Amino acid sequence: MNIVVLIKPIPEAESRLRASSDGRQLDPEGIRFVLAGYDESAVEQALLLKENAPGSKVHAVSFGPVRCEEALRAAIALGADNATWVEAPPEGSDDPILAARSLAAALTSAPHDLILGGKHAGDDEEGLVPSAIAELLGIPSFGSVADLRPAGNPGGISFARVTEAGVEKWEVPLPCVIGLQQAWNDPRTAKLPNILKSRKAPIEKIDWSKTLAALAADSQPRSVSERFALPAPRTGAKMIEFKTPEEAAEKLVRLLREEAKVFP
Amino acid sequence: MTPSVLVLAESPAGAVSGPTKEAFGVARTLAGPDGSVAAVTTGGPAAAQALASFGPRDIWVADIPTESTTSGAVAALAARAAQESASAIVLVGGTTFGRDVVGRLAVRWGAAAATGVTEVTRTDSGELRVRRPVFGGRATETRTLLGPRAVIALRPHAFGAASEIVGTPAMHLLDRSVIPANEVAARRVSLASADGASGPPLPDATIVVSGGRGLRTAANFSLIEDLARSLGAAVGASRAVTDAGWRPPSLQVGQTGRAVSPQLYIAVGISGAIQHLVGMISSRTIVAINTDPSAPIFKVADYGIVGDALTLVPALTQEIRKVRGLS
Ligand SMILES: Cc1cc2nc3c(=O)[nH]c(=O)nc-3n(C[C@H](O)[C@H](O)[C@H](O)COP(=O)(O)OP(=O)(O)OC[C@H]3O[C@@H](n4cnc5c(N)ncnc54)[C@H](O)[C@@H]3O)c2cc1C
Repeated sequence: MNIVVLIKPIPEAESRLRASSDGRQLDPEGIRFVLAGYDESAVEQALLLKENAPGSKVHAVSFGPVRCEEALRAAIALGADNATWVEAPPEGSDDPILAARSLAAALTSAPHDLILGGKHAGDDEEGLVPSAIAELLGIPSFGSVADLRPAGNPGGISFARVTEAGVEKWEVPLPCVIGLQQAWNDPRTAKLPNILKSRKAPIEKIDWSKTLAALAADSQPRSVSERFALPAPRTGAKMIEFKTPEEAAEKLVRLLREEAKVFP
Repeated sequence: MTPSVLVLAESPAGAVSGPTKEAFGVARTLAGPDGSVAAVTTGGPAAAQALASFGPRDIWVADIPTESTTSGAVAALAARAAQESASAIVLVGGTTFGRDVVGRLAVRWGAAAATGVTEVTRTDSGELRVRRPVFGGRATETRTLLGPRAVIALRPHAFGAASEIVGTPAMHLLDRSVIPANEVAARRVSLASADGASGPPLPDATIVVSGGRGLRTAANFSLIEDLARSLGAAVGASRAVTDAGWRPPSLQVGQTGRAVSPQLYIAVGISGAIQHLVGMISSRTIVAINTDPSAPIFKVADYGIVGDALTLVPALTQEIRKVRGLS
């Protein structure tokens, strides 16, 4: 099976977020962008599927600025076979539709039975890229997926997902695109020798000029960020003083009804 | 003619979903007095009939079995409806269904797209501007959607539900032949109610009561379920609980579980690790019950009680049953 994993480097969980000086977006200064969150689970899931079906290949692909390379190397260190960096326009763009078009252009000529991404990126949380790629490639797509397995009949997969309707189980033919909620395991960590080796691994680069030519009229972003804002920090909880559990309960219910008005 | 706003509706078993009602409310505001609201459903005549009470002027209807309702099929049908209704905006509730369709529909219909939206406005120059939480609610971004068309998934519970309006919409049938051939082979082979959960499903609920390791045992976790039942709330859990096997993984809230944004989130015996917080921090009101006054959960909570869950939760359940006239 040829498995493509989509990766978007995102700020490390502990990063201090700040707006850029023009207030339009996150200030990337001093932030380390890493392979993390649902994308990390997608890499883990891809490697598990590969281990289950010998002869499979895992191809990591990332759209964005040069920092993609580091996240792709992290995927190689974990076990991805090859990696492609699809360069973003030099002026930058955080439009998910442009990201999807650029990635789909790169994937048309790359073998793909299964395209795996996180259900959304941990920074912008749009979750648009996997399904938009699927539409561009003309194949089915499913988000919020867990328990992904090769299906009984060859050339298919099965999975479960929790939706508003309940727990759904699906059987789906390949090729298709999956937005992953959870892998079978917690993501593995890379071994030191593999990390060292990944530093020298070749990464295919697709120049923006090439993508631009392929996209022609569709190379414009469809959305732009205007403002990035950090909410006023929550001031901390109003603590309820009480002598008995009953008194605590009564006070809380009164606050929820009369002050927060969340409770009838 | 003022272009219309199209609502991509969900009305399982003929009952209009909460997020769809919210979408109708936003659609009316965006359409304004001169525009019109239309709706599209893939749920057949019963679903279309249910939508009529939210006042769309036109309803586009397809009838496809839920077992083969894929995002690709829905996007194809919705794109056709958007075209036939000469819409400029498609709104959908940000459920699993809605979020799966947005990217496909935007590509197919040639539109801009955004998900998880909590505010939509039109600028003086007529552009659409959306606000949305990012980084698990640690920040918000405002984006302008460029071009004449946009597909927007609204964050559930961020808007009020539309009131019902009496109307007699025109019904239009959608031709299933627009569905791509490779979409019909995918099959939903089973659907079960979320295991262990009584009450509404987690992603949908207006109130969520979650328990953590502080409950001490699997048996004690039933205190959480009792409290949820008294509130008509969904049950959630921290990863410590699902990892220990006290409750199934489908209840897990957080980075590797579900993200929820209810009106009220009650966290009991949960410390407030960042991986849990990203799944619930955009809830409107947060209550924390914990024995440790320095637990990080109190930093994000609106109301806190320092004390033992095993005595506080039953008292709270009792009090709520009392005020709701249940006992
Ligand atoms: C990659 C990764 C992904 C993760 N994803 C998730 C996720 O999706 N969701 C998630 O929840 N976690 C996730 N975690 C785990 C997370 O880091 C925490 O370990 C977990 O949330 C802790 O669960 P807890 O708060 O129930 O337990 P603890 O952290 O052990 O907290 C228990 C709390 O209960 C309190 N307590 C004890 N006794 C009582 C009592 N009698 N009454 C009241 N309070 C009491 C304690 O003071 C304490 O604050 C993830 C971790 C990693 C590394």
